[in-house]
Amino acid sequence: MSGERLTDKEVGERLRLARENAKLTQVDAAAQIGVVRTTLVAIEQGKRRVQMDELQKLAIAYRTSANALLRREAVHLDMVPRFRKLQESSDDAVEAATRLLNDLVRAEVELENALGVVRTRNYPPERPILPGDIRAQAEQDAQELRDWLGLGPGPITDIVSILDLQLGVRVYVRPLNGKVSGLFAYDETAGACILLNANHPPERLLQSGVHETAHLISTRRQPEVLTDDERFTSREERYANAFQRSFITPARVVRQQFAEITAGQSHLTRRHIILLAHTSGVSREAMVRRLEELKLAREGTWDWFVANGGITDDQVRQVLGELPDKKVYTARAQGLVPPRLALLAREAWKKDIYSEGQLARLLQLNRHEVRELLEGAEKEESEANELVKLPH
Amino acid sequence: MSLSSFLINPRVGLVADASVMINLNATARAADIMKAVPNPFSITENAAAELKAGSQKGYRDHEQLLELIDAGLIRRAPLSGPGMAVYESLIDGSARQTLDDGEAATIAYAKEISGIALIDERKARSLCASQYPGFLAACTVEFLMHDAIALAIGVQAQADALLSALNGARMHVPSEHLERLRTMIGPERAALCSSLPKTARAATV
Repeated sequence: MSGERLTDKEVGERLRLARENAKLTQVDAAAQIGVVRTTLVAIEQGKRRVQMDELQKLAIAYRTSANALLRREAVHLDMVPRFRKLQESSDDAVEAATRLLNDLVRAEVELENALGVVRTRNYPPERPILPGDIRAQAEQDAQELRDWLGLGPGPITDIVSILDLQLGVRVYVRPLNGKVSGLFAYDETAGACILLNANHPPERLLQSGVHETAHLISTRRQPEVLTDDERFTSREERYANAFQRSFITPARVVRQQFAEITAGQSHLTRRHIILLAHTSGVSREAMVRRLEELKLAREGTWDWFVANGGITDDQVRQVLGELPDKKVYTARAQGLVPPRLALLAREAWKKDIYSEGQLARLLQLNRHEVRELLEGAEKEESEANELVKLPH
Repeated sequence: MSLSSFLINPRVGLVADASVMINLNATARAADIMKAVPNPFSITENAAAELKAGSQKGYRDHEQLLELIDAGLIRRAPLSGPGMAVYESLIDGSARQTLDDGEAATIAYAKEISGIALIDERKARSLCASQYPGFLAACTVEFLMHDAIALAIGVQAQADALLSALNGARMHVPSEHLERLRTMIGPERAALCSSLPKTARAATV
């Protein structure tokens, strides 16, 4: 045994979480190690220490390692079962995204702890949903957050950096199944965590990011998943939806821009919509729907445009010219793991805190991938100079 | 006796970790290289499982391991009582003091049979040195540079195998072996090898 050993209760709790993450029942797990369910219950409750051969079998069944279960710094989160409870029926895309968020957060927190890194949280005040007009509250809370962040009336160009750097939220942009837009979870140890779909265009990613921010403001302790078939039926979802629109396109700003752009003209045209959408960094549909909501356009305007050929990319090019591809989050989305996590892993390996095998397991990579991630880490050490030494 | 002499002793078992098997496979001469020394080779179930995990993304290491097992060049080794105690001590504790299951099982089994652990992980080898004085562990590059390999497959093929492990598997080379490696593969080829430190790629080490 190396260093301080976990208590039987701590090991039992980790085993329970690992089992639930693996979606196995106590009966399934008991069968894996050839014991009755009550014995497995006793192990999970810490009343009986798991034996080494049992631990090995359980680790395989739970798709982890014995070391990951016993390592003192290992962080075990319950996001997967919590998200699973939200779903009316099992959904593989949501399950995969949930597992990814859980694994990224778990790895990042463990590496931070091992390296002594403290992540500063600067969360805005909570604003529970109150009785009455939900849209009005959302509008007010969104403006309050804009003011709190010091954003002014301009467009939101990089929601991920706002969440990450200004609020201290753990935010990841990774390729997900197209139907999943974003996930939000809050954990006492890890704090607020958001996962966004890197495959979505920047306008949609912005919407998803702000939607999840609304949950951070209003229903912080509840996990949330945003999918493309969301019906926004609950008060919480209607709030988040209204908050998202108000935060990205504040009523006063839209009214002002609308007045300036349409001054002296008789009809709302595609050119107006293209310019307004571009100024706010939202899609053409999102802008028209917002105009409808603010009574600046008649209800059904978007549907009319759709029925009459829509507003095409060619028309956008005619108005705005050729715009460069807006790949705002390329750096965050690329790589085997998110860039910050990769840096933490390299440092932990350089300092001999984690081995290649431990990192492979922690980051859910195979040995080839982890070598790719660590390539050059030693060079950094051997070629380092006093000049580039960090001041802390 | 030196580590070098143990590596050609048929009574000393060599226990290969996943990291070493990946490098050997990358040489494309794994079978010839393993035949070059008289020692019996084994791999633990845990290390083999790590190789299997790579199969999902198209890596052929596990498949190649099975071919080597079928050819009788390496066998799967189960951990028993004494090895299990060492294994437990290497997986239970703080991150700094522990290893993942495959690495721990490799060391535990090598200790159980009084053999040599073939393992590249720097942390694993320093843990062994501090916790088990006298225990022998070697890394892939040490093994590949052994005279017995040159004798069996030729000096040029040995240099090619080293280069393939470096380029194909990003083989890790501890600093104490850099100079000899550079001499063996030649400074021109070393200079083109991105997985080596800049100092090893420069004109002088």
